Amino acid sequence: MSGTAVIRLESISKSFGDVRANHDITLEIHAGRVLALLGENGAGKSTLMSMLAGQSRPDSGTIYHNGSPVVFSSTEKAIEAGIGMVYQHFKLVEAMTVAENVFLGQSDTTWLKASRMAKVVSDLAALYGMRIAPDALIAHLSMGEKQQVEILKLLFRKSNILIFDEPTAVLTPHEAENLFATMRQMKAAGKAIVFISHKLEEVMSIADDIAILKRGQIVGVMPASQVTSTAELAERMVGREVLLQVDHQPLEPRQQVLRVEKLQDEKLHEVSLDLRQGEILGIVGVAGNGQKPLVEAVCGLRQPVKGNITLLGMAWKRFFSQRSGDLTLSYIPEDRQGLATCQGLDLLDNFLLTTRDTFCSGPWLPRTEAAEKARHLITEFDIRPPKLNALAWQLSGGNLQKMVLSREFYRKPRLIVAEQPTQGLDIAAAEDVWNLLLKAREQAGILLITGDLSEALALSDRIAVMFAGRIVETFSRNDTEMVDRIPQMMAGLA
Amino acid sequence: MSAIRIVKRQEPLGWSSCLVLLAAILISLVLSGCILFIGGTPPLQGLAALFKGGFGSRFAFEDSLIKATPIFLCSLGVAVAFRLQVWNIGAEGQFALGAVGATWIALSFPGAPAYLLLPGMILMAVIAGGFWGFIPAVLRQKLKTNEIIVTLMMNYIAILILDYLVYGVWKDPASFGFPMTSEFSSSAIIGRIGGSNFHWGLVHCVILGLLCWLFMSYTRIGFEIKASGNNVRAARYAGIPYDRLVMLVLALSGALAGWAGFLEASSTINRLQPSIMAGYGYTAIVVAWLARLNPLYIGIAAFLLAGLRVGVEGLQLDLQVPAAFGGIIEGLILLTVLAGGLFTQYRIVTGAKK
Repeated sequence: MSGTAVIRLESISKSFGDVRANHDITLEIHAGRVLALLGENGAGKSTLMSMLAGQSRPDSGTIYHNGSPVVFSSTEKAIEAGIGMVYQHFKLVEAMTVAENVFLGQSDTTWLKASRMAKVVSDLAALYGMRIAPDALIAHLSMGEKQQVEILKLLFRKSNILIFDEPTAVLTPHEAENLFATMRQMKAAGKAIVFISHKLEEVMSIADDIAILKRGQIVGVMPASQVTSTAELAERMVGREVLLQVDHQPLEPRQQVLRVEKLQDEKLHEVSLDLRQGEILGIVGVAGNGQKPLVEAVCGLRQPVKGNITLLGMAWKRFFSQRSGDLTLSYIPEDRQGLATCQGLDLLDNFLLTTRDTFCSGPWLPRTEAAEKARHLITEFDIRPPKLNALAWQLSGGNLQKMVLSREFYRKPRLIVAEQPTQGLDIAAAEDVWNLLLKAREQAGILLITGDLSEALALSDRIAVMFAGRIVETFSRNDTEMVDRIPQMMAGLA
Repeated sequence: MSAIRIVKRQEPLGWSSCLVLLAAILISLVLSGCILFIGGTPPLQGLAALFKGGFGSRFAFEDSLIKATPIFLCSLGVAVAFRLQVWNIGAEGQFALGAVGATWIALSFPGAPAYLLLPGMILMAVIAGGFWGFIPAVLRQKLKTNEIIVTLMMNYIAILILDYLVYGVWKDPASFGFPMTSEFSSSAIIGRIGGSNFHWGLVHCVILGLLCWLFMSYTRIGFEIKASGNNVRAARYAGIPYDRLVMLVLALSGALAGWAGFLEASSTINRLQPSIMAGYGYTAIVVAWLARLNPLYIGIAAFLLAGLRVGVEGLQLDLQVPAAFGGIIEGLILLTVLAGGLFTQYRIVTGAKK
């Protein structure tokens, strides 16, 4: 590592009640280098970064900025020191333009000229290889473009230390490539970058240094050049050998549980597929190519306009009008916070959300009986904190997903729709989820919607590629020729 | 320079949220004192007279409790709707229709025995009030209207219907032109409990309050209301019939207000007349918020705000303070309690800056 560090954390500790979120952390961030921060959910990455961003203060330890100790008592102070965060959830004003968002709260003059603002923003974007229209409304932008606006905001205020919190979680593979190109340019311009991610390949491709955080402590800092493989990284991170190859044994497919025939609306074009008990059908594709309307139609959230859907041998209308005690469709949505759970309610209530039918006797809902079952599941699925009265928003993403899975599998579904089931989860949690899905396959047919090709390949019996509202091709996982062509199909080239 | 920042609480506030509530009420009383002062009344003496008038004597205490019964029932109904995040501002109109429904039965069958007449009146009051709540629910779910505006406007319609009846077809020929129906037959009047001054309506309140609590806490629909109120998207995801739930809840809300209308007509004034509309339906909203939608606390808050009404009457007699002062205090309490909600969800952090 060259030169002195722009930021040096020395013996930083931070606790919340009994929980030691960070313990004795010493870490350096260098100009012109990308530091990747790896760690499982709840390892303390967010806590550490919130202290750098001035949102919270360490219990003990010192932060040095260019060699002199500083106290980031407020977010403003951190910004002054040149630290900028790109959050997972963007903080943009949807109804305003790109240029207006970049200038928001930054201008020192009273009067702003739209043309000058646009010029400044497009120059800045060009400097770092970003292509964005300064007068576009935020609401009209894709996730990747919105992220570029966030980055532009930081560049405009001359941030020298940029922290990216799982920046690729919301991006398509292509957008992620663009982001990395931008990062490389920023690096070349002498910016220091901290990159928080679960995706090992990305870390390997972009990072100069890798720091691994585990249970609030740094367990290793190494130059990326010394790491030989992602498997090695994974092993260091979870502390045991993780082979991201799950044990996939083919099962004999049994009765048909889902049949979609020529489904068509403004976003879908003659989508047909079928699914049997005992198999996983992986739908792969870049997000926004019709996966969402397909899932919503199959799960009863959106009425099919044209075409037929048959679930467990019943027509769509009949199936969803008589949803009763023996409800055997489980939907594991991508949006765990907004759709699958009630954030303001506790774990028991969230457990009951879709399982209430199995407990009801007449009009009554026997809560003590349900609580016993829920407590059992919390132990079985290792959900933390293991408290029934913990509120859903207090759980980390991985634990919330485990909670949703435990609930959905408890209902013994015969048809499962799993949408990006491991998005935002660390390796250990993702592996758990994969094994749970494979186990559930013995009783159910699973429609797996994923943007992660390795996930689709590891789990699916058959794979269908979606592009522009169509299913381009459906084939067996063993069809190597087709499997090799998936990237082209996803890009609409085949 | 020191800066004040507002930070979201990471842990829900426990018992100290009661302190926030008490502080809010205290502030509203201080502000009320200021208004008294501006009006030329000594504030401390005025507030003392207010409390004495509301709770200071046996008569005042009983009067407050009697006035609390319609407020309690209306508030119970409003709270059920609020749980679902459906804003029923129409308890006043549902109360009016309930009174009209009960009166209709009472006037139609004056000779019927009490054991038939009273249940009949209750049933009609509940149907009429529930129907009045059901209309905005249907409009909301089918035509996407705003229930706040529709329920509010329907109050005026309901009150005008009531006026139309008592000024017209139902007017007592022996009333010397006053807008009122003839007095109910004795079998249409709810009696008093033993030798006390309290009518059996108090028992209705206790039973209905208990039922509401059981319904919200231990039934499947109660759970569905709670979940939908928290996250409508999750409710639809979980197959909860949200549209039907809104209709059920508003009908139930209206039915409870209708029941209150029955009690008021039958037990308190023994007939229907325009003065039955005393604004209980609006007070009920304040009560529901004060009580955080909990049935037991609704009982307490209803009694306190009823006491406020009774106390203001005393204040008017003793110190010539206009009766509208009661409405001002009520409004101030609602405002301070709503504002206090900020402190239960956020922390105020002061920190030196620069």
